[in-house]
Amino acid sequence: MAALSHALTVDRVSKHYGPVRAVDDVSLTIGRGDFVTLLGPSGSGKTTLLMAIAGFVAPTSGQILLDDTPITPLPPEKRNFGMVFQGYALFPHMTVAQNVGFPLRVRKVGRAEADRRVADALALVQLDHLADRLPKQLSGGQQQRVALARALVFQPALLLLDEPLSALDKKLRAELQVELKDLHRRVGLTFIYVTHDQEEALSMSDSIAILRDGRLVQEGPPGALYERPATRFVADFLGKSNFIEGVVEEVRADGFSYAAAGQRFVQHGGAEGLAKGAPVLVAIRPEKIEVREAAPAEPEMNGLSGTIAAWSYFGSAFALLVDTPLGRVQAAIPAWRCPVEPSEGRAVHLAWTADASVRVVAD
Amino acid sequence: MDRSAQAGPVANVLAWSVLLFLLLPITVIFPISLTDQRFLSLPYEALSLQHYVAFFTSERWLSSTWQSLVIALASTILAVSTGTLCAIGCWKLSTRATEIVRVLMLLPIIVPSIVYALGIYRLWIRLDLLDTYTGVILVHGVTGIPYVVITVTTALANFDPRLEQAARGMGASLRQTLAWVILPRIMPGIVSGAIFAFIHSWDEAVLILFIASRALFTLPRRMWDGINENLDPVMAVAACVMILASVLMLAVDLWARRKRSE
Repeated sequence: MAALSHALTVDRVSKHYGPVRAVDDVSLTIGRGDFVTLLGPSGSGKTTLLMAIAGFVAPTSGQILLDDTPITPLPPEKRNFGMVFQGYALFPHMTVAQNVGFPLRVRKVGRAEADRRVADALALVQLDHLADRLPKQLSGGQQQRVALARALVFQPALLLLDEPLSALDKKLRAELQVELKDLHRRVGLTFIYVTHDQEEALSMSDSIAILRDGRLVQEGPPGALYERPATRFVADFLGKSNFIEGVVEEVRADGFSYAAAGQRFVQHGGAEGLAKGAPVLVAIRPEKIEVREAAPAEPEMNGLSGTIAAWSYFGSAFALLVDTPLGRVQAAIPAWRCPVEPSEGRAVHLAWTADASVRVVAD
Repeated sequence: MDRSAQAGPVANVLAWSVLLFLLLPITVIFPISLTDQRFLSLPYEALSLQHYVAFFTSERWLSSTWQSLVIALASTILAVSTGTLCAIGCWKLSTRATEIVRVLMLLPIIVPSIVYALGIYRLWIRLDLLDTYTGVILVHGVTGIPYVVITVTTALANFDPRLEQAARGMGASLRQTLAWVILPRIMPGIVSGAIFAFIHSWDEAVLILFIASRALFTLPRRMWDGINENLDPVMAVAACVMILASVLMLAVDLWARRKRSE
């Protein structure tokens, strides 16, 4: 399959349903051949945005461009986008081959050519041996692959995927994530993927756009979003975070120090626009917190003492809930080198470096 | 077994009496059709097929059967095509207005046939459609629409709208989507509607009395006249023919439903 990928620009698109702003002034540029994920909780507008890109929803304002061509007025059947629906939407009365051949039948592709392309598409998703089955005779994972083959067989300009893995069990989902990413590399198409599952988004995407209440909150590569979340919502939604609300004590060249619950902490970077006495919000990932027997001796370390309120074992890690003067703090530590034996009521010391945490905007 | 799900004696007696009341008039017609007498009665001495011979050699009864069949088939086609399109249209638009349209479509089974017949009679005089095939087919077709709208709407309720989106998204036009995706999926509903529309026309006796005079004698009308004029047991044969045709249709419907649930 030819790697004729296209870029897509979403330019200030809004979709209002009465007073409800399902999508609110979203602008987004999706590069050629990128795997971009629209991530957000339910009701964040991610599916509405995808449906607007697909052409099933007409935006109230704004426009959508494929490369430089506005496509907003085009009906879905004229956009030539492949789409994998939630629940796959396979035609139950057609065999696998007929399902995959449907877009070609619509385009009046010749019989021999169509047969060849259906066979190619089924081979691409390793389902050539099931061509004559009906969808209901297939497992969930196989149905998902048929839906993919059907969306790719007509060499679409883009592939849109609406929570394609949400109906599958966890293990199968992980397998198909790897397959999907591999498929993306092989076909070289631009993929736009909608999910509410942050792990899925982190593991597959070149870029993630996080939506909340119809608005685009933050956009960027998974690593950048995870390490440097801009807002409290992003820090909380993408992975887990502890939040420290404090007051700035001193602004320095490389960061700032702040006070919270009568203790002093240091933060690397993020001092822009801060002055002494300003309120500040800092997020810290549970896995970036060290748990020690004794208070940290290093002067550049932030330290906090507390007692273990609860703990759970996940095989690879312990998750601890520690009661501290700042409230309850989550910490995750690798189980195989856990420095303290977790037990409820035990006194521990938490420590993290000034660059482990990140300043976020409260929202 | 759950005792609470078992019926008490009173409920049992009631249920069986209702069932018998529904079935007896139908079942009594078969022995009467086999009577050896010259009037409507149960067989006295022996079973006889003489009235069946009379029915199938009588030009009057055969032409009535033929007329009923032609009218029923044509009005079924009319009811199915309009009813199906109406149901699909309402389903696709799905606004408050279409809800009203759907209710209006049920009017022919809500309004008493006699009222409807009177109105049609007046209109048909003016349009010169009395006693014509067109006139009867139109009336039977229109009054058959509710059955089709009901069954097709039910079928559409179980139709996954994403299938339509998927088809459109893959480049199918509305026409292609209708022909290749929607219609095949709701075909059992259409078949059920067609069968009910057919039976509706096949045994319709009120409207036909008003709008037919000399040219058109459908089976129900021929029977009605027969009962008024003489008590010829051939009528029982005609009744059996009608019942058998209806039962045959319902069997087809049952088969279609079973196929759908497979």
